[in-house]
Amino acid sequence: MKKFVLYTGLILSGILVMFPFVWMFSTAFKIPGTALKFQLFPHSIAEFHSMYTLENFSKVWHEMNFSTYFIHSLIVAGTAAFFATLFAMLAGYAFAKKNFFGKEKLYYLLLSTMMIPGMMYMIPQFVIIVKMGWYNTYKAMIIPHLASVFGILLLRQFIETIPDSLLEAARIDGAGEIQILRRIIIPLAFPVIITLFLMTFLFHWSNFLWQLVVTDPGLSANIRTLPVALALFQGPHGNEWELMMAASCFSIVPIAILFLFAQKFFIEGMTQGAVKG
Amino acid sequence: MLSNITKKTRDNLVSYALLSPFLIIFIVFLAFPIFYSLYLSMCEKTGYSISNLTFVGIKNYSILIHDIEFWWSLLLTFCYAAMTIPGGIALSLLLAMLLNNKLPGKTIFRSAFFLPNVLDLLVVGIIWKLLYSGGGYITTFLSFFGISMKSGILGNPWTALLGIAIAMILKGAGFGMILFLAALQNIPQAIYEAADIDGATKTQQFFKITLPLLKPIILFMVIMGTMASLNAFTEIYAMTDNGGPVVLLGNHTLGATKLTGYYLFSKWQNHEYGYAAAMSYVLLIIAVLISLINSYILRRED
Repeated sequence: MKKFVLYTGLILSGILVMFPFVWMFSTAFKIPGTALKFQLFPHSIAEFHSMYTLENFSKVWHEMNFSTYFIHSLIVAGTAAFFATLFAMLAGYAFAKKNFFGKEKLYYLLLSTMMIPGMMYMIPQFVIIVKMGWYNTYKAMIIPHLASVFGILLLRQFIETIPDSLLEAARIDGAGEIQILRRIIIPLAFPVIITLFLMTFLFHWSNFLWQLVVTDPGLSANIRTLPVALALFQGPHGNEWELMMAASCFSIVPIAILFLFAQKFFIEGMTQGAVKG
Repeated sequence: MLSNITKKTRDNLVSYALLSPFLIIFIVFLAFPIFYSLYLSMCEKTGYSISNLTFVGIKNYSILIHDIEFWWSLLLTFCYAAMTIPGGIALSLLLAMLLNNKLPGKTIFRSAFFLPNVLDLLVVGIIWKLLYSGGGYITTFLSFFGISMKSGILGNPWTALLGIAIAMILKGAGFGMILFLAALQNIPQAIYEAADIDGATKTQQFFKITLPLLKPIILFMVIMGTMASLNAFTEIYAMTDNGGPVVLLGNHTLGATKLTGYYLFSKWQNHEYGYAAAMSYVLLIIAVLISLINSYILRRED
């Protein structure tokens, strides 16, 4: 009896949470103009062909250039995640295993900036980007977000658990800092590094506001990312739901698949800050 | 002695070399902007180019405190927080309690609940916009219960913000669920057994044992929720046009979903950089006040 109640609750909330995505997915396959028809399952094969099509995807992917925007998003999110993770790893190693002037003060200064709402940075960062002449470039989308304080927090905590004796032994054998990083820190901290990489990748994949602010809607076709392209697409094609949902799939489905394969990293990464901080 | 000094210097050099790529970006794009923003908030853009900024002192701030639209946006931000925070906490706690049982297949549900968290906010907003529109699935569903929403849920000033809040609660619930689930699993079963022996009902046990032990997480979620409300922009942009359906207040035309984040963006769109910077500074002060209150509460707990 208790099990029955629990499963009913779980299934109901599962439907509640997942139905927008099921709807998105099914609408993306529908013949243009039929998004609002409530019938989901066809009665015959002939009816199936009059209800569902793959055309929306090929139209959005080829004619509307979403293949290019997809690659732009990959470039922005991939590059940014790589460098943000690398920089956080170097800094996290210094904070975990080195003694230097002003260490703890600097650390608390970094942590205190985590409480600043991101919105506050929009105007000054935008003016700085324009003055540097970076407006409408990949640099503008990527570089301002390469300093991840959260990443330092995550990596410092992990690298601190690596025994000093291991590093000492390597030093006695003549290893330099780069070798220590390559041979000891990176292999041991690899799960955390992957977590941070995925977190920052996700952040940039969805960083709509900043990508919108630093690119010119009229001139950005050669660097435009997926979310910005979708927002611009929404204007003239607001009524073509089937096409919009097909375009949305290109942003949602790869991330959903990535999540299914690497959920452990995603869940740990997103909740780590809360549990330890 | 000499080798000691050199070791110290060497350590400093190596450390700052390791820190330098991070620190350069941090200083230019995170530390400097805080001060630069203060300067910008005292400027006005006078020409076509962004370089034509004239210093005007506290003018922007004195306009800001008389700006009805700004106060309205803060009020809406507060309402949005008042809906998303308790709603989010309640739903994620419910999901966590459902999952805090030995059930076959519960990891599948856990993944399904968490999944929307990692998906693009703009896309999720667009999906909900279509579902909420007049003739969309949700409006049609509601019409079966005699609730007629011709202009759609987002086209009605009374329901627009609530609609956005519900969509965001459902998107974010999996995050809190994981936090609550971890905390629930840490509560020793013996406490409940002792309460059972003392004759406490399940409801009493929930309010007297479970909730107090979950307090740190609830507090954390309140902070995160406040931050998310102050930063709320993408969901508003995706779901309503130009700050939502019009609300008339005296002789002011206001937007029913024009939260502070969106208002700030609309000022940026109008190239009023100085004014927008002044607004971001007010946001910063609010955020600092909230984190001070938070650390005060935490200290009192200890």
